[in-house]
Amino acid sequence: MTFVLPVGPQHPSLKEPEFFRFEVKGEEIVDVDIRLGYAHRGIEEAFSRRNYKHNVYLAERICGICNVVHSTTYCQTIEQLAGIEPPERAKYIRTIIMELERIHSHLLWLGVAAHQIGFDTLFMLAWRDREEVMDMRELISGGRVHSATNTIGGVRRNVKLEHIPEMLRRLDKLEKSTGYYADLWGSDRTILARCSKVGVLSKDDAVKFCAVGPVARASNLKLDIRRNDPYGTYEALSFDVVTESEGDVWARGTVRLREILESIRIVRQALHELPSGPLRVPVELKIPPNETLERTEAPRGELVYYARSNGTETPERIRVRTPTYGNFASMKSMFIGGTVAEIPIVMWSIDPCFGCNDRATILDARTGKVSVVNFKQLKRWRR
Amino acid sequence: MPRILPKVLQNLFRKPFTVKYPYVKRELPKGYRGRPAIDREKCIRCWLCIRACPDRAISIDRGTKTPSIWLGRCTFCGECAEVCPTKAIIMTEEFEYTTLYNVT
Repeated sequence: MTFVLPVGPQHPSLKEPEFFRFEVKGEEIVDVDIRLGYAHRGIEEAFSRRNYKHNVYLAERICGICNVVHSTTYCQTIEQLAGIEPPERAKYIRTIIMELERIHSHLLWLGVAAHQIGFDTLFMLAWRDREEVMDMRELISGGRVHSATNTIGGVRRNVKLEHIPEMLRRLDKLEKSTGYYADLWGSDRTILARCSKVGVLSKDDAVKFCAVGPVARASNLKLDIRRNDPYGTYEALSFDVVTESEGDVWARGTVRLREILESIRIVRQALHELPSGPLRVPVELKIPPNETLERTEAPRGELVYYARSNGTETPERIRVRTPTYGNFASMKSMFIGGTVAEIPIVMWSIDPCFGCNDRATILDARTGKVSVVNFKQLKRWRR
Repeated sequence: MPRILPKVLQNLFRKPFTVKYPYVKRELPKGYRGRPAIDREKCIRCWLCIRACPDRAISIDRGTKTPSIWLGRCTFCGECAEVCPTKAIIMTEEFEYTTLYNVT
């Protein structure tokens, strides 16, 4: 006899709406069903109603935490579509801001994960150090969260010479504290008790369910778009692809913490090798009919943008596949066999971002029936 | 003994990391993107800002025949300040305000 335990759509371990239907046998989870689409905002449709330049800011608004990687991927897609090559300095500045974003996203993950397992001291400390990254981003781009730095054909703002010593000082501070957290994550008894051997995703399952990003790397899959399909300046910079073999929540945390250290290394190199030159190239916005696909490594995994142009100033279609969407399939194998108390931390361990995820799905969850609603119907309902 | 205890004790006896915000203000970095401000004297009515705005927040004021920004829609990207040929629109360092249908 199994019972159904609904989790969500309000506050399923984090403050974003998504519905999880767990079938439990006593304490043990035997089945899980995930229903998406509560935060659908119709962004892909909105893309095809604005011109290419205005869409940069729309792409930034898909996700707050990983906004630069969204706008960078969008700009790279459109540059590929139009056959533009951004200047070297612009590529380096994009790399610096993207890696700063990875650091702050992983520190945010660490803080919330610590909060989920009831370790609030680490939560406070991790978020305190996250401020260093936010200040660095404010220094470069003029905004703590939304950088608005990218544009098609380059970047809009420069990393000035006087910023560099300040940034290197902050990076040193960050490296020291991240090293401490990595040490703590591997040795503290509370963390080991709550995270070790919890939500295990084996290597075979990770391949079968197409896991991406840190989730795949924690299951010993050497999968990193920065290395496998290099974009921007990543070919010229040296860094390691971090992998762990355990595949549990603890391994996912370790991968993220070690990735912060790698990102700090990348930012240092990029600041050191920053070439001089122009920031952007002039762009002709009327792009002839063409289509392209571009992928990058967001903090949460592989981010894919597809774009099709039709000769006008607006794109015909933009499709976004976010990393959280890629990781949902592997969630089932993490949950089954676990207990109810593990739900929040396992759910958080893939670093879900439902705001990113729910752009394209329209589901009728009221009757339990999954149906695709076309635009005409939607228009009729609006009246 | 929990491993984090030395760090907890260390943090207990130092001054807080946060600033007492409304009373103490942090210095903003140069180039901060705050509320955009329009100098109506400098405006040459080329309307480049209206074309550049990704949120359609800028419209023409009927009275003065100059652009005005609806702050409820503005996302502080700074595109209008960048395209303005006479620097009539600048990004100020002001961020404390509230808006409903407030226009500059």
